[in-house]
Amino acid sequence: MLKFLKQVGDYAKEAVQAGQYIGQGLAVTFDHMRRRPITVQYPYEKLIPSERFRGRIHFEFDKCIACEVCVRVCPINLPVVDWTFDRASKKKKLNHYSIDFGVCIFCGNCVEYCPTNCLSMTEEYDLCTYDRHQLNYDNVALGRLPYKVVDDPMVTPLRELVYLPKGVMDPHGVPASSRRAGTIPAELDEQEAASN
Amino acid sequence: MDVGIDLEGSFIQSVTDLGVPAGAAKAIWMPLPMILMLIGATVGVLVTTWLERKISAAAQQRIGPEYMGPFGLLVPVADGLKLVFKEDVVPAKADPLLFTLGPILVVIPVFLSYLIVPFGQNLAIANVGTGVFLWIALSSVQPIGLLMSGYASNNKYSLLGGLRAAAQSISYEIPLALAVLAIAMMSNSLSTIDIVEQQSEYGLLGWNVWRQPIGFIIFWIAALAECERLPFDLPEAEEELVAGYQTEYAGMKFGLFYLGSYVNLVLSALLVAVLYLGGWSLPIPISMVAGWLGVSETSPWLEIIDASLGITMTILKAYFLVFLAILLRWTVPRVRIDQLLDLGWKFLLPVALVNLLLTAALKLAFPIAFGG
Repeated sequence: MLKFLKQVGDYAKEAVQAGQYIGQGLAVTFDHMRRRPITVQYPYEKLIPSERFRGRIHFEFDKCIACEVCVRVCPINLPVVDWTFDRASKKKKLNHYSIDFGVCIFCGNCVEYCPTNCLSMTEEYDLCTYDRHQLNYDNVALGRLPYKVVDDPMVTPLRELVYLPKGVMDPHGVPASSRRAGTIPAELDEQEAASN
Repeated sequence: MDVGIDLEGSFIQSVTDLGVPAGAAKAIWMPLPMILMLIGATVGVLVTTWLERKISAAAQQRIGPEYMGPFGLLVPVADGLKLVFKEDVVPAKADPLLFTLGPILVVIPVFLSYLIVPFGQNLAIANVGTGVFLWIALSSVQPIGLLMSGYASNNKYSLLGGLRAAAQSISYEIPLALAVLAIAMMSNSLSTIDIVEQQSEYGLLGWNVWRQPIGFIIFWIAALAECERLPFDLPEAEEELVAGYQTEYAGMKFGLFYLGSYVNLVLSALLVAVLYLGGWSLPIPISMVAGWLGVSETSPWLEIIDASLGITMTILKAYFLVFLAILLRWTVPRVRIDQLLDLGWKFLLPVALVNLLLTAALKLAFPIAFGG
């Protein structure tokens, strides 16, 4: 009899515990309703990419010396450099240059190693096409600059988390004059100048 | 006894005054509350689906529907329109008669159960003497429809879903009925109106939750299982059974299932409000407020306020429970089928029985507090 009562007691205890756990879980979900979404409504609002953003690569045809360093440092030897040797000037003459952004992983090695800085990263990231072959950019397409998010009248530019004032999570309605958390590069320069 | 507004009585009175016989006057009256209730239930479903989306979004820190009408309020309408205009596909190897009959059998009992939901002293379609019992009886018609549609679809997933639905509905019916029985014992009546009457004496303190806390929890769990809401939605568990018994359904037949499940949720919430949360009665009894203000309880304007407040209170309580159900949906993971049956037969059933016996004992011991 006592054993049975103990079993009943244990069972009741377990049931109460299970109830408590469900209560805890409910408290968590309820608390989440208080936290507001920081959704960026994409086609109408866009985040401003940071300075170090690695987007679609920009290429300047006239600067290129066709050294093929970009091809060598690329993990998959992606850039296609088409050149011919010009006997008159004893220099390589670049005919075509192309990068397939359907295959590129945007690691930025080519940009890093390019001796003449003819490669650079843009802030363009929405490379959508109906056909993946259209992602194969030739030197003309590579030479185009993307439309800046801040200049687009159709888009509300929003600041990324690191560019927001301290403690602010939601970029909506943050005044443009409010400065971001931490010291900015200009201030660091000043500090250095002062210490020297 | 204060009866409050009697719309039916005054309608019949005014029609008979025009020279119509009393029987005909009643016949003219009868469809009106029914149509109103049908519309009300459907609008309730639309609101519930919208709430489901918005509250789910809030619980996951999303925004939810936003561009379809203000705050995405037109999403349920778009949903309904889509389902109406979709092609009605009956699979080639399915049994066309049973396939069509299934969803109908699922939906009709749910709508029929609105017969007994009271929104005020005289604001119910019918004051049926058997009240809650009628609801329990009607809700056990539903698994037949589910099983029928599952079997007639000629699809393994559908059959499994249908069988699960039937097993679940049948096993959770019993604790549900036992919880209701305890209430009926305390209020000495099965009529929903009497049950609310009996709770409305002392305002918030008189509600059945305080006297039946265990019964309340059992009833709510069992009601969620009956509605196939998320912790118990394994008849349609999408990860394993595609969509259970709904797998082969499209268009309006699927729409009927969808409608049925949400109507059932609202109905269950309404019944919890009626059985445990004092139905239309306010947290502070209106007669008390009238006493403080020195207004006669029978003055017509007070009665109108009382009636509208009563309807609001019932709906408010019901939607609080709907909110709780949605929150539970994102809190509790789905149980396995064996866990489901364990919970039903090995936990809820004995606890409900003990609760019933306890209520009986308390009724004998303290007849004043437990409706002796």
